[in-house]
Amino acid sequence: MTENKKKILEMLADKKISIDDAYRLLNVVDAGESGQESTPKTEPEIKGGPRYLRVTVLPNADHEDAARADRVNVRVPMSLIRAGIKLTSLIPPEAMDKMNSALHDKGINFDMRSVKSEDIEDLIAALGDMEVDVESGREKIKVFVE
Amino acid sequence: MNRPPMLMHLKIKGENANFGLWLPLFLLIPLALAVLIVLSPLILIGVLALWPSGWGKKAVLVLWAAIVSFCSMRGLKVDVKNRRESVYISVV
Repeated sequence: MTENKKKILEMLADKKISIDDAYRLLNVVDAGESGQESTPKTEPEIKGGPRYLRVTVLPNADHEDAARADRVNVRVPMSLIRAGIKLTSLIPPEAMDKMNSALHDKGINFDMRSVKSEDIEDLIAALGDMEVDVESGREKIKVFVE
Repeated sequence: MNRPPMLMHLKIKGENANFGLWLPLFLLIPLALAVLIVLSPLILIGVLALWPSGWGKKAVLVLWAAIVSFCSMRGLKVDVKNRRESVYISVV
């Protein structure tokens, strides 16, 4: 056993590091010893990523008027969102200017021209962590990805 | 590109109207292809005429984007209900 491995196990015994950290560090040491690249082994990447964007509106059971609330359940495939974002590149510049000014009038300072097809995957990956919960009167609104 | 959707389920319930429909998209695809083939000379002439202005390329891209969007619709589900009416659309 090398000196580095002993140190890692000592740190683990002293509870200075967690079991996961120790495992990762031991992998780094092993890789270094066998002359391989000294990068820690990471967990395998989750294949596929988020597949659907879900929007649900359900009655708020705590509200007295819940029976009159609307119910909405929408499931949009991410591939459709990707195709939609790519379609923005086909919008003529004049129409884009009109959209930007309309958004500005509504208080949203967003330039539609800044949406690039290269950024779509990052955007969709970031959506994976998104969850919006709104409880408003007789309805509960939830936006999430699955 | 995804596999195109095969069926669309449409269900509308209201005070006056109440119907459900399974739309066989797999039957519409060959029909759309036949129309596209028949119209292809006209589309080609239109694209060539518009090419110098830059709109020809956009027209081709729009056509392609429409096909990609259609193929991406598989899995789409919309279900909206209130006390009186309900609309259900599902693409499978």
